[in-house]
Amino acid sequence: MNGEASGTIVRVTRMPKSWRIFHWVNFLAVFAAVVTGIYIARPYYQAMIAEPAVRKFVMGWNRAIHLYAAITIDVLCVVSFYLYFLSRFERPVRKLLPTREHGREFFEVLANFFTFNRRKRFDSAELDTFNAAWFTLLHLLLLFQLFTGLQLYVYSLESGLSSVGGWWPWLMHVATDWTYWAFGGRMGVRWVHHFTMYLLLAWIAFHVYYEIWRTVYWREGDIAIAFGGEKIARRLPGTAAE
Amino acid sequence: MRVFGRGEGGGSADGIGARSESEYEALRRRCEERLRELEATEPLKQVHLPSLLRSEGMSRRTFLKWASATTALLFLPASFEKLVARAAAVMNRVPVIWVEYQDCAGNSEAILRADGPTIDELLLDVISLEYHETLMAPSGFQAEAQLEDALQAFRGKYILIVEGSIPTEGGFGFNGPRGESFLENLKRLSRDALAVIAVGSCASYGGIPAAYPNPTKAMGVWDIVKGKPIVNIPACPMNPANLIGVVLHYVLTGTLPELDYLLRPKFAFGYRIHDNCERRAHFDAGEYVEQWGDEGARNNFCLYKMGCKGPMTFNNCSIIRYNDGTNWPIGVGRGCIGCSEPGFWDKYAYERPMAGANIPVPGLWNMGIERSVDLLGVGLLTAAGAGIAIHAFLSAKYGKKSDEGAPGAPPKEKS
Repeated sequence: MNGEASGTIVRVTRMPKSWRIFHWVNFLAVFAAVVTGIYIARPYYQAMIAEPAVRKFVMGWNRAIHLYAAITIDVLCVVSFYLYFLSRFERPVRKLLPTREHGREFFEVLANFFTFNRRKRFDSAELDTFNAAWFTLLHLLLLFQLFTGLQLYVYSLESGLSSVGGWWPWLMHVATDWTYWAFGGRMGVRWVHHFTMYLLLAWIAFHVYYEIWRTVYWREGDIAIAFGGEKIARRLPGTAAE
Repeated sequence: MRVFGRGEGGGSADGIGARSESEYEALRRRCEERLRELEATEPLKQVHLPSLLRSEGMSRRTFLKWASATTALLFLPASFEKLVARAAAVMNRVPVIWVEYQDCAGNSEAILRADGPTIDELLLDVISLEYHETLMAPSGFQAEAQLEDALQAFRGKYILIVEGSIPTEGGFGFNGPRGESFLENLKRLSRDALAVIAVGSCASYGGIPAAYPNPTKAMGVWDIVKGKPIVNIPACPMNPANLIGVVLHYVLTGTLPELDYLLRPKFAFGYRIHDNCERRAHFDAGEYVEQWGDEGARNNFCLYKMGCKGPMTFNNCSIIRYNDGTNWPIGVGRGCIGCSEPGFWDKYAYERPMAGANIPVPGLWNMGIERSVDLLGVGLLTAAGAGIAIHAFLSAKYGKKSDEGAPGAPPKEKS
């Protein structure tokens, strides 16, 4: 508390409760989608339930969970893009504007990472440009999975019928048929959908590592943001924010 | 209802698109009118269908069973059975020219099955087949003269059936005594055709000749012919029932059937093999054949892990089967290779699910063998893991942990 009182340490809120809920739901949905998606691509275990085939749905459940998870991710993705522009807490899109200041900050954060924190010339109390870009990349990858995944889903609805009406397959065709042409047919779409999963896993690997690294080297409790929503920020005497 | 995609042109129209009772009634009246017109015209070939059937030992009942099945194939109600039977009898009013390019003659073989002709196959005798290099007796200049006669006599009225892909690389594929290239031949014959029907995967999308690296730059009919109605009946070989269905549809209604975005008739290619597969329950259940001859194979489990591409393949072979309904690939314990899909030889015809195949997808980057999606993906993850490990090690060795009062540039003021 001394530090806080003296202005050298400040407590900053980085994620409101709703953002943290989105974060963990997103994590669980991506995890579920990866586990079930790999099964759909290459079933890695056999159904060992002593029931006739018509009464057990191992692949059926995997596909159902995959689709539920995908829908959850898709909705969160749409919500996230809304928050990017119109959040009352913080609008990450501001950090993405290509200004000279943001460019400098982006490379300073990168330099901090590659100089192993021997150089730290930016304000660590707020969302930095590098992380803003990194999180945007995640949402773009998820958006890409949305388009390719829905194309893989809608092609089986060739009849144009669905339980909610013909508008739904029609809308999916309109929104996703470009992927069919862009990636050389359905097999190409499956290929990129499957491969993008690896990109997402690599993204997660770096994200987790980077947040732990920041926690260890910055000593500002960054990892706590995803749980409690807050971190501390160190400031030099006399230059701290209010 | 319209023919869309490449190959649009006059001649294609409504097809069987009726949904309500009144629409079916209107369609029935239209078909009757069309059949009356055809019956009033002079047959191009003196074939009496009932006599032909009798000579092959087929009863009227067998023929009516066929008419019933074909009515169902075209998604028409049972009240159309008599019209379908009448249409079959007047198929000899439709002139057909059949040409063969870069192929194995598999589609001609399919329709000529020697194991005992079916009604679909017999109808080939009814159709006025004006030219078919493999079947006709004349050859050389005589055959060429017959073709010219047919072109003159039926200008704008004949259906051109194309079998085989078209090489576009110079020096490949010539036919006839004048050594005309397949490409020029197709352009010339399609110019005055009423419609072009591409039979088999080669004629539809290039097929096996167009497989990577495609040395002859083989293409499908729709890549070459423009401004004409085109129907693709892919598969390797195509199912004779589907060809007869398209021709019968034309005889019955005067229009081509409703097509999907790959110009395939929807009555045959409007649903996946997977959706009507006899092993579908095993797919949903998670019961798979792991290797040939294992316990799963003996119990007819799903062939997905053996590379069956039924979930991605649109065709009706799981319903009408091959060789007069005798069997089909999955029925004999062999997975589907997706032969009715574009680029099937490169993208579908391997014996593992896509994720397990060590072949590239041509058209993406053509990266070469052994670079499948999992290989690349695991490589990427390994690189990410190695990068993280190196960075963590260097951080531990050279990193500097921030502390209060540590030197560094002051952060900017927050507003």
